[in-house]
Amino acid sequence: MNHKFVVGLLAAAAFAAPAQADKLDDIIASGTLRCAVVLDFPPMGMRDENNNPVGFDVDYCNDLAAALGVKAEIVETPFPERIPALMSGRVDVGVASTSDTLERAKTVGMTIPYFAFEMAVTANDKSGVKSFEDMKGKTVGATAGTFEAIALEKQVQEWGEGTFRPYQTQADVFLALSQGQLDATVSTSTVAQSNVKTGNFPGISVVGKAPFDIDYVALFTDRHEYGLLNYLNLFVNQQVRTGRYAELYEKWVGGDLPDLTVSGVYR
Amino acid sequence: MFNYTFQWKQAFARLPQMLDGAAVTMQIAILSMVLGILLAITLTMFRLSGSRILSAIARTWVEVARNTPALFQIYMMHFGLGSFGLHLSPFLSILLGITFNNAGYLAENFRGALKAIPETQTRAARSLGFGAAGAFGYVVLPQMLRIAFLPMTNQMVWAILMTSLGVTVGMNADLYGVVQDLNALTFRTFELFALAAVIFYLITKIITIGARLIAARLFRY
Repeated sequence: MNHKFVVGLLAAAAFAAPAQADKLDDIIASGTLRCAVVLDFPPMGMRDENNNPVGFDVDYCNDLAAALGVKAEIVETPFPERIPALMSGRVDVGVASTSDTLERAKTVGMTIPYFAFEMAVTANDKSGVKSFEDMKGKTVGATAGTFEAIALEKQVQEWGEGTFRPYQTQADVFLALSQGQLDATVSTSTVAQSNVKTGNFPGISVVGKAPFDIDYVALFTDRHEYGLLNYLNLFVNQQVRTGRYAELYEKWVGGDLPDLTVSGVYR
Repeated sequence: MFNYTFQWKQAFARLPQMLDGAAVTMQIAILSMVLGILLAITLTMFRLSGSRILSAIARTWVEVARNTPALFQIYMMHFGLGSFGLHLSPFLSILLGITFNNAGYLAENFRGALKAIPETQTRAARSLGFGAAGAFGYVVLPQMLRIAFLPMTNQMVWAILMTSLGVTVGMNADLYGVVQDLNALTFRTFELFALAAVIFYLITKIITIGARLIAARLFRY
């Protein structure tokens, strides 16, 4: 076989083969959109009485699947397992209230923000914590792997006194808080209100706001999947434009709709 | 399928933090073994004591420690006692949880080892003028520890690996806790956990080899 022939054969094969399908194509072709959703994070993701996944993130995934014309599959993913789930190909997209930090964006591709959290301080009533500043020197905790856990741990180090403890799930944080193992926690205000309201955790109350930056959260997928990221960005935009974002916010959270734009800069 | 570019530099930059975590892991494992061995000897003596109450306590301990998951035991130390208002720090929760587990398993190992020692040893010791306590302490116990030495090494390895369960009770200073914190920060899951696995492997390997050397020196005759 001579050299030219081989080259020619390869060239022919390259032209004949269809352009490589990207993830967006794969999802449409497979007929299923698999979303990583954290179901321990009410009201964004949780389970109803019949053990079905419900919440803002679940509805958001369903909307996305509907837009793509495919079936949605909710894959329950605890916070620390979001990236392994994506990288091992168990999920296509994370709809998992993921903070869009620059550090993380080195690993995964983040969309424009689809939700924004404000942080609130919830304290054990016996701890005497009445504000964020009162947490100085106390035993505080948050859910491992979240934006607020990272920020709070940094704050405790800056204060130079007190202890920080990360727990694996939001439920464990509020259990520890209710038992008095923690004096106070910082969580998203939506989570705080929703947990205090359940009555499962007696002796705790939301005492104020935490002066952390607004926690913008994004959808995420593989970093190099520009086709899909582009689609997701447009989808987030459309959700706001069509009023669906406001509708879902009213349904699951209620109150003032958080603004998803940052003034003075493009994204 | 596996779309991921490994960035080992980012993981290696965190190595000092991880080694600090490994030191804490070792500290927990060693403390839990020392306490576990002392408790296991106590439990074994409870069983031999002939007292029904003491032997029932020892049996219950061994049953619970061996037949429930270590995760459950550690969780109960923290949240179980917590619901009665007894608040252990994450360090104490994991330490006592593993100690509880160690004591249960080791007591059973010690009981087996005791069965392997012929009763004539005790009788010979007694006939030489040892009291009951002396015969046990000077003659039976050393032989028991020798027979149970390898199972004890196993338990030590197991104790090191069990420290990774500390994250469920808010522990973030041990090796696994440190890695999980770093993972949340950087999302470099695979590199960090691979590195942690290697560190765990090296620690346990050093311990098994060390134990073999100690055994060769102690049990030469």
